[in-house]
Amino acid sequence: MSDKPVNHARAAEHFIEDTPHLQFHDERLWDMRQKRDAQMHILPEWQELREEASRIKEHTLSRLPEYLEQFETNARKNGIHVHWARDGAEHNRIVGEILKAHNARNLIKSKSMVTEECDMRPYLAKQGVTVTETDLGERIQQLDDQLPSHIVVPAVHKLTADVAKIFAKDYHTDPEIRDPHLLAEAQRQAARPVILHADAGMTGGNFVVAETGTFVVCTNEGNADLSATVPNLHIATIGIERLVPRMADMGVFIRLLSRSALGSPITQYTTHFRGPQKGGEMHVVLVDNGRSARLGMEDFWTSLKCIRCGACMNTCPVYRRSGGLSYGAVYSGPIGAIIDPTFNERKYSTLPYASTLNGSCTNVCPVKINIHEQLYKWRRVLVQHHEMPFVKREIMHMAGKLMGQPRMYRAAIKATEVSLSTMPRFVLYNWLNPWGKHRENPHPVKQTFNDWYRKNRETAAKPAAAPETKK
Amino acid sequence: MSTARDEILQALRANRPTPENHPLPPVATLGDLDASRERFITSLKILGGDVLEPVEGETLDQAILRRHPDAKVICSNVPEARGTLPVEKVKTPQDAATIDVTVVRAPFGIAEMGSIFLSEAQLPINSFAHLGQHIVVLLSVDQLTANMHTAYQERPEFKTANYGVLMSGPSATADIQGVLIRGAQGVRSLSVWFT
Repeated sequence: MSDKPVNHARAAEHFIEDTPHLQFHDERLWDMRQKRDAQMHILPEWQELREEASRIKEHTLSRLPEYLEQFETNARKNGIHVHWARDGAEHNRIVGEILKAHNARNLIKSKSMVTEECDMRPYLAKQGVTVTETDLGERIQQLDDQLPSHIVVPAVHKLTADVAKIFAKDYHTDPEIRDPHLLAEAQRQAARPVILHADAGMTGGNFVVAETGTFVVCTNEGNADLSATVPNLHIATIGIERLVPRMADMGVFIRLLSRSALGSPITQYTTHFRGPQKGGEMHVVLVDNGRSARLGMEDFWTSLKCIRCGACMNTCPVYRRSGGLSYGAVYSGPIGAIIDPTFNERKYSTLPYASTLNGSCTNVCPVKINIHEQLYKWRRVLVQHHEMPFVKREIMHMAGKLMGQPRMYRAAIKATEVSLSTMPRFVLYNWLNPWGKHRENPHPVKQTFNDWYRKNRETAAKPAAAPETKK
Repeated sequence: MSTARDEILQALRANRPTPENHPLPPVATLGDLDASRERFITSLKILGGDVLEPVEGETLDQAILRRHPDAKVICSNVPEARGTLPVEKVKTPQDAATIDVTVVRAPFGIAEMGSIFLSEAQLPINSFAHLGQHIVVLLSVDQLTANMHTAYQERPEFKTANYGVLMSGPSATADIQGVLIRGAQGVRSLSVWFT
């Protein structure tokens, strides 16, 4: 894996150039945000639910070893085989071995971000295993050889015509189809025989209940249910942070998850797996992959509370206008920008800057992760670790000097105002001025605040301000 | 040599925040506690499910044919409906794929979400709930619980079933340009017949 920092800004630039895609992306995600708001307003207890969810998650994370052991004991009692994986490679090896032991060549799988983290599909392909995604959006991304661009709606950046083109290649449908219903039907018809002949099924897990040894999977297509109930072998890949202590806690999370994600009260399917089906075999692989280390990061451990609803993405003005793929990571958007650097600090060093710090992500987060504060804290960490891009570092350095000297600062402001109103455009809008790249510079003002203040308030304010001057 | 399990647990013990600072909050029962049939139906319709209202003098078999006139293979796992395919014929998960309409009884429903619950106790085989084209679900009005909190606290099935699915209407997707499509992968429709 290359460590080269992701050039988020350049990738976003590419996305912005395509107006129809950009406009649809922005509107679709904002629509999801508004539907979420409507759900929030229906429930007077919404803030209480968020508080409860946050406290349950923080509690669980502080006792994660005990709850994992409790889950393992109960799951084993129910006949589930439990495996532990330190990282992606270990996870892939375990899954490969289970499949090999069953001589399983065809795996159908439900969407799981953890397997994306582990880069499992190419590994299994090399072992001769055919992996077929059953979630429609994830399947579109698989056929197009792209990462999911959103954790809930993986192909949200694509228009119908894009999907028609992809399906035409693989399903031999008409590339000119413009009715999403026909395309979805093509997927259904193509998927059914694969599902019926699969040797093994794989799902993720949205929640894991320590008390009962259960894991819970939420989908709208029911594709996790098909993946788990048709083949007799079911493997579930789950991040170790997904635990909740009691079955009774699930009420809080199910009530928040889909409302925060899509603005629907619940996903069409909420499935509780507590043991293998009759004649079947069930495996759970608990994956660490950096999570235990993240738990030790004082400023960032609460990012492990995330229930992967995607609400922070839907509301983020930067995400909506740059597209998920521009983040160059498995997790995009605000949540991605705070957890990706924990996977690779250098590679994802640019992502915490992909934010206006407006706090909207924090406001919509159902488990109250202080996302925008963590974005800010990451910037500090990255500066300390010298991961700041050269130009940004130099600009900050100069800005620091300038702001430390009021007289020089005021002179610079004046000079800027003069140049904004007098200089020709080619001088102001070029590669030296990133601010002017996709937007107009601010309008020049006739009088700076400082000039106005000197003229109108300075003498009046002085006596009153005197006692306050001591630091 | 230490195992992955030991290493992960050890790292979590070393890195975790102070447990005493994060007590477990008591179980919450929040929100609307209305467990009425009306609330259930309103929620069910939001998620694309529907009610199969009986017509005077009609049997369940007739009602199913009225709702699904083109159905050839109807498989019932309840005594209230005969269907056309004996349920004993459904032995492997794949056997359920040829069915047009499956008929089952749900032990309970959740008024807040319009969800019905099914587990291996109600299904001849788990895939029965998903591989058919349509599903008709029998539900008793006095088996409605108010919301997700009451459901998880009151219903023993969540702790006993190996496979327990809450279905809230048909399979759905909006993954192609945001257009809502019912019948993506699993059942194309879900109808509730109150008994």
